[in-house]
Parts: sequence; structure tokens; C-alpha cells
Amino acid sequence: MGVLDGRVACITGGTRGIGLGIAKGFLDEGAMVVVNGRDRAKAEQTLAALDAGDRVHFIAGDVKQRESCEAIVDGTVDHFGRIDILVANAGGGSGHAPIVDLTDEAMQDALVWNFWHTFWTMRRAFHYMIPQQSGRVMSVSSLEGKVGKPGISIYVTAKHAINGLTKSAAHEVGTLGITVNALCPGAIETDIMKAEGPAAAASMGLDYEGLLDMFAQESAIKRLNDVEDVAAVATLLASDAGAGITGSLISIDGGTAPY
Amino acid sequence: MGKLDGKVACITGGTRSIGRGMADAFIAEGAKVVVNGRDAVKGQACLDEIGAGDNAAFFAGDASKQDAVEGLVDFTIERYGQLDICCLNSGGVLQTAPVAQMSDEEWALEIDWNLNHVFWGMRRALQHMIPRESGRVIVTSSVEGKLGKPGIPGYSATKHAVNGLVKAAAREVGTLGITVNAILPGIIETDIVRETGPDSAVAMGVGTYDALISMFSSESAIKRPNTVEEVAAVAVLLASDAARNMTGCMFPVDGGTMPY
Repeated sequence: MGVLDGRVACITGGTRGIGLGIAKGFLDEGAMVVVNGRDRAKAEQTLAALDAGDRVHFIAGDVKQRESCEAIVDGTVDHFGRIDILVANAGGGSGHAPIVDLTDEAMQDALVWNFWHTFWTMRRAFHYMIPQQSGRVMSVSSLEGKVGKPGISIYVTAKHAINGLTKSAAHEVGTLGITVNALCPGAIETDIMKAEGPAAAASMGLDYEGLLDMFAQESAIKRLNDVEDVAAVATLLASDAGAGITGSLISIDGGTAPY
Repeated sequence: MGKLDGKVACITGGTRSIGRGMADAFIAEGAKVVVNGRDAVKGQACLDEIGAGDNAAFFAGDASKQDAVEGLVDFTIERYGQLDICCLNSGGVLQTAPVAQMSDEEWALEIDWNLNHVFWGMRRALQHMIPRESGRVIVTSSVEGKLGKPGIPGYSATKHAVNGLVKAAAREVGTLGITVNAILPGIIETDIVRETGPDSAVAMGVGTYDALISMFSSESAIKRPNTVEEVAAVAVLLASDAARNMTGCMFPVDGGTMPY
């Protein structure tokens, strides 16, 4: 008996990092879960390790393409018959630089990757959730959706945009049994952090270790967060108990964000 | 297997409404719980309803009084040997009024009940938790801890104040395995809201109890009050091991009412 028995979830970028943690959390509570990634071959090992049989399904697609975002949502409904939970989790940033040196391409890429992908998947999910008068939409935003650091403005801007979209959407569908929330984690040392952290750090005049240390020192707990921290909150929001929580930007950051 | 197996909690104002919801949810997850209220007869009735035998106890005391709040913490440790989760939940208004008509007595009561009670309980609990390097402090704040409505100035002021206290305390004990968080519910039709709501509605200029509930609900995205169970579920999460890295958090359970 899980709190998500029979629910169908769709998680963008769910083959590693936070998305994978949320997938595990949902599967443990009885949900059926679609995970997404660009490359099926890379995902095979992960999917096998989840050991969830028919309850997990992979849909390949690049979230930087609108057609892929819509196909991921549609594919969830095609495969499992419905969609109850959308987690717009994929995101990141590359080409970090101080604004004075920032390229259009880097800003555009971060907005597409984080913000547009959230909008495209949310809009498509609402097509299914509004008629069924139930649903949960959550995005994996960031601490940086509430505050701002120098040198990573592409990420900060895109995550703030997600938070604005979340608030507006929550009020649009608030009486229809659909909640829309943003998870705002502090720094977590995921694969993507390891991949992009050094460049982000350089843009801030730090090395990678210095970047992680800066995040830890800003917090009350003086350490980074874990994937499991985010998964626990996502599970609560996805469950029936989360019906009264919407439009919320929930900090999972060890006491970093000031509000 | 519950999420709170072996944990011990105390809850100010735990015999009914939000505190009672927390007590029921904690017990369902395997915790032992001491609930508090002013009236021993109601306390015993509450224990009978909870039906958890030795896993629940009652401590009589007025949460607006220092000796009662500290007594609850001490009693819990004495009764069950430890305190893992301290829920500072009691609070409200008695005879609220706009600032211009606010009495010194009501103002002092609200400061004691909503703010000082949280400080007294938190201080006592942390004195026990810091040496153990483990603990959870959960404060029932309110949407009015971020907003502010006419006619309930003391409530808004004290709930803002506890949010500040929570943030400061979280940073003091953040590396000691102790988290300090606030839950910010929207309007819930609890017993206390039903009792004091009609007078509050007059003080706030909306006239009737129904208009008061409707005003709060209409500010939300869900256009309905929240429920005790919704708050209790968040309390369970914050009390559990899964939330060891969440602290200083103002956790909204408000149906989308607050702007931030």
C-alpha cells in the first residue's frame, strides 16, 4: 500500500540525478512512472536497476524540442492510459559567463532547457488533467529561483521564470483538483552538477570545490542537499495529502533561501 | 513500520484541531506523543479518542504561560526518556481588534500565546536536543506570518515574529542534526476558528463568520479552506528522517494564497 498506488507519473530527465530519485520515490509508493532521457541505450542500465517491471517505462526525447516535450506527455497517456503527475525536472545551464560577456545562445539555451520545457510539458499535461479534474504538476526549480548569484544569470533567470509560471498556473487550475508547485533545492552533487559545475564555478571566479563549499556555507546545515530530500517532498506533493498545497515554491535547501 | 518509529513528540495545544491532527498522524507513524491543553477532562477525552494506550499522554497547562510550556517539554522527557519532535502549535486570538482599539491585555496575551510560547518551548527543547545532536522543532505559523490583514494586528505581528525566530534558530543548530521549521497554513475551520471567528469577522470588518471564511478562501487558488490533515502530512514529513536537510523553511499549506 503506497500513497501513490495506481497513479501515473511522467518525469522529464528521469534517468539520473534528482529525476531518478523522484522516480524511485514514486515507484516505492506504488506509482507507474515514465522516465525520459535523450538516449535509450544510456538509460537501459538505470531502468534495469529500478527493477520495477511494467511499472516503469522509458520515453526518449530531447526536452529542448517542443515536439519531444509534447510527445513525452502524450506517450505517458498512450502507455499507461492517463497522466496524474507531471514532474518537469530536466534542466541546467551551459555557457555560463558574467552578463557582460554572456552570449545570446547561452541565455536562449537555458531558457529553452529549463523554462520552455516546463511550459511545454505543463501545457500538454493540462490538456489531460483539466478534463479529468485532477492532477499534480511540479517543476524542479532551484534555490536560484528565489535568489541570484553572479556569473550564473542564465540559470537564475530561467528558474525565476519557472517560479512565476508556477504561481500563475496554480491560480488558473486551483479549483479543478490540480496543484502546481515548484521544488527549490539547494546544491546537490548530481551528474549534471559535476558536468556543469566547473564552468559555472569559473564564471564565478571559483574552482568546483569552491563552488560547492560556497553553497554549503550559505546554508544552515553547512552541507549540500541530497536527491532523496527532494524526492520526499515530491512524494508528499503528489499524494492526496498534497491537495491543499499549490502555487508553492518549496525550499529544500538546508536553510539557505531567506523566504 | 512507520516513519517515526521510536520517536517522541510533544505538541502544544494538541487535543484538538491542527495539533490533534499532528498527534494522530505521528502516532500512526509509530511515535509516542504528549498532547497538551488547558483542561484535564478534555485531555482525558482526547486520549480516549486517540486510543494509543501508553503511546500517548496528556499534560495540562496553558500554552500562554511559561511554566506550562516548559513543563510540557520536561514532562515529555520524563515520561518517555527523550524528546525528538517539539511541535509548538498552540496559538490564536481571544478578542482581536484593529490597532486603534486594541487593548493592552489582548496584545500581551497574543505576544505570550503566539510568540513567547514558541520561544519558551523551543529554548527548553533545544537545551535537550543540542547535547543529543538530534531533533525537530516544528512551529505552526500562518499565512499571516507573511501577509497582514486588518483587524488581526497581533496575530500578524506574532506570526511574522515566529517566522524570524525559526530562521534564526535554524542557523544556530543547523550543523547539530536539529531542524527548525515553520508550517504556514491558510484558513482552516478548526474549533478555535469557529469559536473566535464570529468576533474576528466583526473586528476585521467582514461581518459574519461565513464571510470571514469566504474572504480567506477567495484569496487562495483552490477557493476552499485547508484541512487539518494537509498540515499533519507536512508535519510528518518535517519530523521524519527524510527531511533531515530541510530547515529554516516556511512550508506553505495554503492552497496558493501567499505570493512568496
